[in-house]
Amino acid sequence: MTRALVTSSLIAMMSTSALAGDITVYTSYEEDEAAAFLDLAREALPDVNINMLRLSTGDLAARIIAEKGNPQHDVVWGFAASTIVNPQIKDTLEPYKPAGVEAIPAAFRAKDGTWFAVTGYMAAFCVNNERLEKLGLEMPTSWADLTDPAFKGEVVMPNPASSGTGYIQVSSLLQMKGAEQGWAFLDDLDKNIAQYIKSGSKPCHAASAGEYTVGASYDMRAIKNIKEGFPISMVIPAEGSGNELEANALVASSKNKEDARRFLDWTVTDEAATAYLKWKAIVTIPGGTMPQHFLDAGLPADTNSVLHPTDFEAAANDRDAILAEWQGRYE
Amino acid sequence: MSEVALLLQKQVSKGSWVNDKKVALIVSGVVLAMMVAFLIVPILSILSRSFAVSDGFGLENYINTLGTSRIWELGLNSVVMASLAASIAVSLAYAYAYALQRTDLPFKGILRIVIMVPLFAPSLVQAQGLIFLLGRNGVFNRFLGFDIDIYGFWGVTLANSLYTFPYAFLILSAALAVSDARLYESAVVMGAKPFRIFRTVTLPSTRYGIFAAIFVAFSLSITDFGNAVVIGGNFNVLATEIYNKVIGQGQFGLGAVVGVMLLMPAVISKLLEKQISKRQHAQVTDQSTPLQIRPNRLRNLVFGSYAWTIAAIFLSVPLIVFVASIVKLWPYNMAFSLKHYAFDVQNGTAPLWNSVGVAFATAFLGVVVVASAAIVSAKFKTVLSGPISFLSILPASIPGMVLGLGYVLAFNNPSNPFNMLYGTFPLIVLLYIYYNHAQGFLISSTSLKQISSTFDEASTMLGGSTLRTLFKVTLPLIWPTLLGVGVFFFMRAMVSLSAVIFLITPQTQVAAVSVLQLSDRGAANQAAAFSVCIMLIVIAMLLVVRLVLWLAGAKNVTLIR
Repeated sequence: MTRALVTSSLIAMMSTSALAGDITVYTSYEEDEAAAFLDLAREALPDVNINMLRLSTGDLAARIIAEKGNPQHDVVWGFAASTIVNPQIKDTLEPYKPAGVEAIPAAFRAKDGTWFAVTGYMAAFCVNNERLEKLGLEMPTSWADLTDPAFKGEVVMPNPASSGTGYIQVSSLLQMKGAEQGWAFLDDLDKNIAQYIKSGSKPCHAASAGEYTVGASYDMRAIKNIKEGFPISMVIPAEGSGNELEANALVASSKNKEDARRFLDWTVTDEAATAYLKWKAIVTIPGGTMPQHFLDAGLPADTNSVLHPTDFEAAANDRDAILAEWQGRYE
Repeated sequence: MSEVALLLQKQVSKGSWVNDKKVALIVSGVVLAMMVAFLIVPILSILSRSFAVSDGFGLENYINTLGTSRIWELGLNSVVMASLAASIAVSLAYAYAYALQRTDLPFKGILRIVIMVPLFAPSLVQAQGLIFLLGRNGVFNRFLGFDIDIYGFWGVTLANSLYTFPYAFLILSAALAVSDARLYESAVVMGAKPFRIFRTVTLPSTRYGIFAAIFVAFSLSITDFGNAVVIGGNFNVLATEIYNKVIGQGQFGLGAVVGVMLLMPAVISKLLEKQISKRQHAQVTDQSTPLQIRPNRLRNLVFGSYAWTIAAIFLSVPLIVFVASIVKLWPYNMAFSLKHYAFDVQNGTAPLWNSVGVAFATAFLGVVVVASAAIVSAKFKTVLSGPISFLSILPASIPGMVLGLGYVLAFNNPSNPFNMLYGTFPLIVLLYIYYNHAQGFLISSTSLKQISSTFDEASTMLGGSTLRTLFKVTLPLIWPTLLGVGVFFFMRAMVSLSAVIFLITPQTQVAAVSVLQLSDRGAANQAAAFSVCIMLIVIAMLLVVRLVLWLAGAKNVTLIR
């Protein structure tokens, strides 16, 4: 019903917009998610030729920074908020508030209006059941459990210096415990870490492949790998899960801002939100229910109950200092 | 460029105003101009960022980076790992190339192709294959009861030895391909034992090849971050530090400092090259006769078992990738399934065909570019020869990520005269050519250095111009090597990833990126299946080229020398 409404209103809009054309969208949504969302967006905006480039967060950030002098894209879509606030990227953006953006709680929008986040992800462990059983270990439920000497050499986590997921894990632990206790805890954890892997998804893949017992990663990676059939369980750390937002923004240099804005408007529609719910554990647009297999994998219906209330601004500001300290201690 | 050369040649043969020296200078100038546009400008665009500080320009980035003990530890890690990987790769490859060039083993064709496998599968898949084999839950540990932990120093060293082996082989094989039988005959007449002949005749005659192979294997190992990221574990090197700074934190300036440090091997080897080249004497002179390989059962047995053992090791990685692509869920459900070949990645198999086109263009243009560079630096003695030979080997010291971002900075700039190439396939082709320039150049030069200058002198005395000598004498002698260089460029263009991800656009997608997308989203088996398709296409193309050559009457030519 909503979808029909949205579509018909968009068709109405179409007739008024004479200048339609090409837009280029840069995204870091995972390839399958991005493809699913894009199909819907193309259906909703049939007169706009949407070109999409998908790269992982770090690669895309480097690309955007390198192209800064002459940006080739009109829209940034589903891109880590902790990275979009990097001044080298933020400077390329222009504030835009799509119609209906008020539905998104203010915590998930930039104060100056340069970006807004419709989705996000949170830290989660992937635990290999086969390996856990073989080694006679108990299912961990928290970060604290991972400091048990029994897990020595069996835990992998992302390297915060190269992975945004790794950074939110470390910064959320520091935020919730305070600097002194936080670093002391990370010291304990370090004794059990077999590897700091340089990407956020690889620790979960390593646990799924049975290379290690526990891979600290993020929610959707675990859920998707369970669906693929890997013998793993997802654990949301009991202390509260650090989380990251995936932000959308308008590029200031866009030569087709009208269509770029229409695309951004679409990203906050109910229709889009329905699609996000199929793929994402954190959807900032209220309402809707999550698919059964998310719940089966171990997510609570209300994800707010397990999220650590992240101070995104502090996380961004402290990044260089935290990474320097982290590398000094553990590398 | 070849057209320019042909045109010049015509004018020369007509006895027009252009004299020999001018021709040499003009051709050298064109080669150098291309290098400036597609190598120097991009490299400077990014490396100059190392001097950019908050308030203009300065050495702050260098002082901060070099002032930490961390960077020196990483430097030491890099040098130790790359030296060991290069020594392993070059010694094993020398013996392998010897087996193929100096014995009469059967099935040499198969042995040649098998060893090229690391060149025609994306490196991330090979690292994955190694983990399937030797990982903590790999075949050896899970099914055969071993207890191997591959992650760390030894894993990276092993992976880089495998990865650089074919490069070393191509160079050494070109070095061993040419020989003068008279030297060997006289050695035998003088009563020298085989090992003494090897030490006093064979080894010195391949000096330049060995040097070039060590340089390439060392440089590629020290700049590679793919293997270090996947199986390095907590073993960090300079290349992963660039990855942290540039990809992890968006700090180009600090990454560029490390990038500048990685140029050191190229500078050092350039300083050494003169010494080595001086002592390298030509193998083919106007009086030499080709070496006849005599049957020798013991020798064939020894080299045969060696070559097939190495071949088996090289086959095991693609084989495991192939198996992973046809089972339901490696390593838990080994039931046969073709479901991973129903690609649901964006654009489906279209990027495969894009890559084939790009690879052919890279092969043709790449041969022209590197052969011109090799010829002008070795045969045309002009003031430009020195700079050209240094720039020719420089790309081996540039990590793909750094060159790729340099291309973005240089060609996305509207004031660059080649700005219109940005976002097109031709720029991707040029990136592939200059990214792999050092390897192609060294293979060609190794061949060229073994042709005596007496040919040039004779030809000149008979009134032939430099270009005439080139087309009538030099090219006919080295064309089998150039064919191999073309095949090499074709393979690299099918699979190179680290540089090209910064140049692809929604309209210009290539196959290796599809493998990365699949691997990123956790579809390891589908990524394996996609890689198998890439490998099959490369093999099919090799067969087609072979057939064309056969039909054209060149029956005894091998694609990989």
